[in-house]
Amino acid sequence: MLAAQLPILIVLLVMGAGAKLATVRTDATPGALTRLGPAVLVPGRWRAPALMACAVGELVLACGLLLTTFPIFRYGTALFFALSTYVLLELRRRRPDAGCGCFGEVSSTPVGLRSIGRTVVLTGMAVMAIFAPVPGWVPFIEPSWPLAAGLAVLAVLSPELEEAAHRLRYRAPCEQRPSSEAVALAKLKASGPWRDHVGTLVSQEPRDSWRELCWRFFAFENRDHQHVVFAVYLSGLRPAVRVAVVSMESMPESTPVSV
Amino acid sequence: MRRVLAAAVFGRPPSVPGPDPASGDPLRAVIGEILDVSPHVITVGTEEGAEERLVIAPWAKAWRGTELPPADVPVGSRVTMRTRREGRVVEHLWADITRATGVIRSVEGRKDLTVELDCGPHRGRRTVMIPYRATGRLRVRHPYLEPGFLFDAIGVREDGVTKALLPATSQPPYPARSVPPPPPAYGGVQSRISGTVVWSDVFDSGERGAAYPMVERSDAGCPDAEVSCVGLPYLAIGSLLAVHNVCGNRSGNVPIVACGCVAGRFCDRCVECDTGARGRIAELSPAAFVELGGELAKGCFNARVGLG
Repeated sequence: MLAAQLPILIVLLVMGAGAKLATVRTDATPGALTRLGPAVLVPGRWRAPALMACAVGELVLACGLLLTTFPIFRYGTALFFALSTYVLLELRRRRPDAGCGCFGEVSSTPVGLRSIGRTVVLTGMAVMAIFAPVPGWVPFIEPSWPLAAGLAVLAVLSPELEEAAHRLRYRAPCEQRPSSEAVALAKLKASGPWRDHVGTLVSQEPRDSWRELCWRFFAFENRDHQHVVFAVYLSGLRPAVRVAVVSMESMPESTPVSV
Repeated sequence: MRRVLAAAVFGRPPSVPGPDPASGDPLRAVIGEILDVSPHVITVGTEEGAEERLVIAPWAKAWRGTELPPADVPVGSRVTMRTRREGRVVEHLWADITRATGVIRSVEGRKDLTVELDCGPHRGRRTVMIPYRATGRLRVRHPYLEPGFLFDAIGVREDGVTKALLPATSQPPYPARSVPPPPPAYGGVQSRISGTVVWSDVFDSGERGAAYPMVERSDAGCPDAEVSCVGLPYLAIGSLLAVHNVCGNRSGNVPIVACGCVAGRFCDRCVECDTGARGRIAELSPAAFVELGGELAKGCFNARVGLG
């Protein structure tokens, strides 16, 4: 009974750590960390290290809970969630616009009573777990009904679930989503128009490739010295592919392009 | 080339760069060095080595750090002129004008300030001098004159030194790395996007082109691209931008020739004719900017931009 909530704690710690690491890794997009969680309470250059340190701490606690019964990990977990509650209260007071950042970038909705309630519940679970007689992997194998109840409570208290549902429902339009050239090329090579023209091409590597709105274009040359241009739609598993063969003579003088 | 191939795939006629004929009497930008100037006629030597004699309109204005009569512009200055009547009549000329846009790397000096700017990966660094008399004016609109913040000023180029004289914008209050994210676009992309269009002098002389922030990093070889506080669609170098100048009611098609990685970091407004939407959509070359009815000394115009 006391150990029933350990799986929740472990999974949440691991998820939190993973999401934070992913957020730090995508900091190539400037400004990603300016709106997130406790990191906004520290000066700009410490934001990424603070998130990293938090993530590493969570991973260590999760491993300790999963494999051992050492009290240090259990007290540590209780302390971690108690501190989180305090930090969230402080964050709500000082930066009401910032998200909690608990699960990285997806937790960007401003800290509300639900987020704070969740850390209070988690603190309670962690305190219960201090007295659990078995290591964390045991309740993973033998789940019990309090585990389901705990999950339900957390689901109700998680604004991230709604956020994730909204993101799935209302994705940014394809024109604004980044998309990989390699994926588009792979989709092109699996398409019918490619099979129709591949025999005539001089090389299977495109001479030029560019993206315009929701289409990625690949230009090849065929054996008759003509341009073969494919356009691949960037949305969907089996996207539309268009093709045109343009003779070199019909091309106007190309305008110089400086990069 | 890309434009023609893309048009062929969709079976549509390729659009052509240049001003929209429906915009009325087309403006032509003439760039050159003044060989001789009188109150009514100006002679310039163009880049191609030709000599052009143009009539100065009675209402013509000139700028060289400040407004002055056209005949007072010194011989030897490099001028960008807005002309009408197929390039015969000058109505506005800007002499030795330059614009310094970038991220501040260092600020030195006590009276005259020397600012080193990082103008983006493919434009390199640039040193700008702010004369003492202009520091007050610039500091009012650039309160964070410190490394990491953005800088945008218009000035003159004299003896190889860039002197910043006028602020080209109100400095964004965030560091250059912390550009606000674009608003969510749930409903789909609009075919025309409103924002600010500015000019930059880092293009080749006389080139009609634009720098656009939202180009794929891998395509443009520009690691700082894809940053903008406006929800811009992805386009490629070689695509044609249809720019409509809302202030001057002129339209034209301008090819994208570079990535606008610095322009994308400015989330400012242009207040030249009306309060416009936030965010820089494109950076035009001086010739393209002037031909769309922009005034170089003002630095920007509100625009609606789409794919040409």
